[in-house]
Amino acid sequence: MEINEKKTGQCVIIGITGRLDTTNYSILEKKLMELIESHHDKILVECSNMDYVSSSGLRILLMALKKITMVKGKFVLCGLQENIREIFEISGFTNIFEIYSTQDEALKVF
Amino acid sequence: MRIRFPHFLRFSSLAFRYSLFFLFAILLIFFIAFAYSYGYSSILLLEGAKKDANILTQQTISRFENVLQPAELVPQTLVDAIENPKISFDDILRISREFVIQDSVVFGSCLAFEPYSYDKDAYWYAPYIYEKGNKVTTRILGSTNYDYYKMDWYRLPKLLNKPVWTEPYYDKGGGDTLMCTYSTPFYQIVDGKKKFAGVLTMDISLAAFERIVKEIKVFKSGYGFLVSRNGMIITSPKMVMENKNILDVARAGRGMEAIKAIKSMLDGKTGFASMDGLDSKKHPSFIAYAPVAKTGWSFGILFPADELLDDLFQFFRKILWIFIYSLLALLLTTILITRRLTRPIIRLVEATKKIGHGDFHAKLPLRKSKDEIAQLTNAFSVMQDELSNYIVSLQETTMAKEKIESELNVAHTIQMGMLPRGFNTPANWELYATLDPAKAVGGDLYDFFYLDADHLCIAIGDVAGKGVPASLFMMVTRTLLRAKAIAGIPIHEVMQSINHELCQDNPNQMFVTFFAGIVYLKTGEMEFCNAGHNYPYIVGPGGDIRQVKAKGGLPLGVFETVNYSSEKLCFKPREILVLTTDGITDALNASNDFFGEAKLASSLAAMANKNTKGLTDSLIIELKRFSLGTEQADDITILALQYKNPSETNEKPMQTVQITHKNQLSELENIVINLEMLSEKWNIPLKIVMELNLVLEELFTNVVFYAFEDKNEHLIHMSFMLIDAHQLQIRIEDDGKPFNLLEKKVTDIFDKPLEERQIGGLGIHFVREMMNSVDYQRADHKNIVTLTKNF
Repeated sequence: MEINEKKTGQCVIIGITGRLDTTNYSILEKKLMELIESHHDKILVECSNMDYVSSSGLRILLMALKKITMVKGKFVLCGLQENIREIFEISGFTNIFEIYSTQDEALKVF
Repeated sequence: MRIRFPHFLRFSSLAFRYSLFFLFAILLIFFIAFAYSYGYSSILLLEGAKKDANILTQQTISRFENVLQPAELVPQTLVDAIENPKISFDDILRISREFVIQDSVVFGSCLAFEPYSYDKDAYWYAPYIYEKGNKVTTRILGSTNYDYYKMDWYRLPKLLNKPVWTEPYYDKGGGDTLMCTYSTPFYQIVDGKKKFAGVLTMDISLAAFERIVKEIKVFKSGYGFLVSRNGMIITSPKMVMENKNILDVARAGRGMEAIKAIKSMLDGKTGFASMDGLDSKKHPSFIAYAPVAKTGWSFGILFPADELLDDLFQFFRKILWIFIYSLLALLLTTILITRRLTRPIIRLVEATKKIGHGDFHAKLPLRKSKDEIAQLTNAFSVMQDELSNYIVSLQETTMAKEKIESELNVAHTIQMGMLPRGFNTPANWELYATLDPAKAVGGDLYDFFYLDADHLCIAIGDVAGKGVPASLFMMVTRTLLRAKAIAGIPIHEVMQSINHELCQDNPNQMFVTFFAGIVYLKTGEMEFCNAGHNYPYIVGPGGDIRQVKAKGGLPLGVFETVNYSSEKLCFKPREILVLTTDGITDALNASNDFFGEAKLASSLAAMANKNTKGLTDSLIIELKRFSLGTEQADDITILALQYKNPSETNEKPMQTVQITHKNQLSELENIVINLEMLSEKWNIPLKIVMELNLVLEELFTNVVFYAFEDKNEHLIHMSFMLIDAHQLQIRIEDDGKPFNLLEKKVTDIFDKPLEERQIGGLGIHFVREMMNSVDYQRADHKNIVTLTKNF
């Protein structure tokens, strides 16, 4: 898994490439916690290159969502592949997360 | 209760033992001296007693003879006178009368005539003059009641023609008392011939002898006694008088010595002997005896032996007591002195004990003097300091060492964990590898992994050196191989690239000999590159063996600019490629011989019929047998790959795949690789693969995190079975604690606001949602989860 980070105004865009699973979720966890602790409260996760996510990965996303919601910020996902979207649906996360199909669409809400 | 003596009285104490030793020595010397002087003294005493007894005997006999002498001399004169016709019998009687009156011993005298020789009418005629009270009376003896012709005192001198002393007798009708008589025959001249005419007697009272004998006292209870020729006891103050004969007394319950001595005494001999006492007590006694020559009697004195030695015994008893008291005083003094001498040693011992128990600051006793004990104390003090310092440094060293060792253990676990195991190969290939490290962390490595479904990469290497640095270098090499080896890139380029990376930052100038190959599984072709590693062997099915003498370049990490080249070979059916490290050929036996290439080749040839695992295990066993009794000097690594007959795979299309994973998260990677391989083999759609991936990851991580309470390595078995073209069954087994995922309640996932959503618990939900069936069993201490998935 690779993570890249880019800023557009006040919004931080995190791009995930590859597999997000039990062996590497801590990398994403660390990245997101760093951002939240340095008072970044507008985060967009770009998932179009994410091939796989396990429950450990979902746990990190849920944790980030909770923390940012507490500080009245915004945590948004976009570009989920079909397989990934199914996993989100099975887990019921589609009801909790704000999910957009493209990055442009997502950026508008900030 | 056990009595606890003060230390100096305990046997273990030096003081006590030395005192005891001296005591025994003195006792021994004393007893020898005592026994000798006692023995010698008693001999001297006995000699003295013998001499004294003999003198006493002789003196007493002299006294007897003094008494007897007048009684013998006077009759002789009178008898001579009788023969003279001028002297009348009346004169004789008158003289006798005078004698009887004057002599204190002679109390009577008789002139006894032969029948009718004095008076022709008288058969008996014997005028007898005797003292009775203070009066001297004359009687005429001889009657039918007192026929003196039959009596000893008359008969014997007549018979023997000489004077005779009679045995003691009670003269009834004569003297009427106990007496002895000295009878002297007298003669008359008739017709010119000397003719026996009668006997002149002198009666002596035995009271005189009794007096003499009574006066004799030897020691406390010794006494004298007088016996006649026949053994008749004439006088004795103590003898048992019931037996009047002394021989009978001796025979009555006394020993042989007594009988012998008495017999010798009665024979008229002089002697000294030891024998039983003659009185009723029968104490062991000494006897001295001698004859009273005139009468044929014998006189003896008898005294108990213990009385002779009694004084001596008393004397020695006093000496003994004095000795015992002095000895006790000596013992006490010795103990006190030794105690005084050993007290500092005891104090030192106590201090040393404390030191021994770990109290290195225990105070040693101070000594003002400069004697040996003070020197010892000083030496101890120095030792104490040194010991204390040594312990401190030992503790530090040990702690540091323990730390390193625990780190080494971690390194070992990581290193061994990195090596792939339980690898799934296509059915027409077989692969087995093993690494036996010499130290906790070694420098050998092997690896194998798929580049894609058809290309298998195998590698073996040996880093120069051992221990942690070698191990780290080996890990780097292995990581680089995994990163650089990609399907389609020739192996020599991969090597070149790894070499480049290793040379970039290699301050310790470490290097690794390395052999890597890429096997095309479908055809049995292998492209390989040998960077200075041992030549591999190829073992044919008939035991034919060849070495692949490939030279692809220098070991990795030596020079950055080295060019590497690759070669190719093609497996024939049932051939085994054996990769080894020099830990095998360089193994030494007890006599310092190498295992060597020749032995390796011949061993391998003999194992041609075995499978890869059998071959590897046999080789290890042979090596261990060879180097029995020596320490393993280097890592031993073997990787064996066999290409089976390609037709075998076609006959039996693979329907079941079994894989074993260790309980480490790093195995997730292998799960992914395996699933990809299966998807290709069994045409499983990608979406299904991802779902399987997700489910297997959830179940696997669950087991890794929660199933095992220890920290040991456990194996998790997964088997995949293609039931038909669109149904797959997966079975997962672990030996962890029981966990039934079907019992786990999955609630609160849906329709809850964000704040109430729980983080976690999703995994099991996924398993149930994504699989067509989920089954759980607990059997043989194992959790068995069976999943089916349709596609």
